[in-house]
Amino acid sequence: MNIHRAEPVGSDWGEVRAELERAFFMARAAALAEESFVFVVHHDDLLGRRGAGNAMVATGLLSAARTAAVEGSRKGWTANVLAYDNDSDPGQVTDWAERLAGDSAGVTGELIRLGSSHLGKALP
Amino acid sequence: MTGSIVVTGAARGIGRAITEKLAGSGPFSVIGVDIAPELTFDDDRILPVQVDLTSDDGTTAVADAVDRAGSPLIGLVNNAGITRDSRLVNMTDEALRAVLDVNLGAAYRLSTAMADLMSEGGSIVNISSRAYLGNFGQFNYSMSKGGLVGLTRAMALSLAPHVRVNAVAPGLIGTEMAMGIPEDVLEKMVAAIPMARMGSPEEIAEVVWFLLTPLSSYVTGHVLVAGGGRSLS
Repeated sequence: MNIHRAEPVGSDWGEVRAELERAFFMARAAALAEESFVFVVHHDDLLGRRGAGNAMVATGLLSAARTAAVEGSRKGWTANVLAYDNDSDPGQVTDWAERLAGDSAGVTGELIRLGSSHLGKALP
Repeated sequence: MTGSIVVTGAARGIGRAITEKLAGSGPFSVIGVDIAPELTFDDDRILPVQVDLTSDDGTTAVADAVDRAGSPLIGLVNNAGITRDSRLVNMTDEALRAVLDVNLGAAYRLSTAMADLMSEGGSIVNISSRAYLGNFGQFNYSMSKGGLVGLTRAMALSLAPHVRVNAVAPGLIGTEMAMGIPEDVLEKMVAAIPMARMGSPEEIAEVVWFLLTPLSSYVTGHVLVAGGGRSLS
């Protein structure tokens, strides 16, 4: 399945760019195959809580998925982002990622957040 | 409020409007940075610095210019940006890397270096784009401008309360970039804007002014969309 889980990066720009590139390679391959894909990120990174490097990756992937969703909507495939927090059950994260990367039932360009740490916080 | 302010992508469009707005609005030393050779200004209050910001040498040259300006650094506007548009299925590795390096990597490198120079506090404004919400044919550009939002949030947290960090997300603005869009396409784009027109670089400069100055003294980590309502229509 076309699932890219963002790996933690440090403060080096080369690491950040490499992580974004890996996500791009997966997304482009999925788009060429006209298949749906999902990016998985940590919720804290969407708000910049775990350093600039991780934040740039998470929010960069969210925006890229939104754009891919626009393109995929014309071809029938979807692009979404799944965010988890420290309390998220790993099995649930996997289940949701596979659901979104498989038959997302028309959900596309969305940020789906597991857990409760996003409540009352900024909308990314 | 006195001191030095650095603006990148200062040669044209939004960056030029910001640079000229700042030079005409207060006792600032404005350092206009760009790689473009047409980086010249009639106003001698603007110090042009022609460098490639994707290199460490570029960052060093800007820091040297701040030192020469002789007043504390109080502001940075990360505006430099490029596009290499194509559908995701056709996008090349080079197109991704080039856009990420200029639009995001250079802003990250310069922000990190300049924040250390803001000894008396300051404000950083990152020029993102409404495309961070998604825009056809701009996977790389959206990724870079979305990344700027994350950079804004992370630095807002790490630099508070000393330095504020915010972002502006302009919509369709009447720059050279927009003028390159085919006329029929441009008409459709404008028709989708509730304000029924493109924005001007000067209007974005006013938003940046708000975020740079004490007018926004309790605002940090925010993304201000200036798109004429296009994100709603």
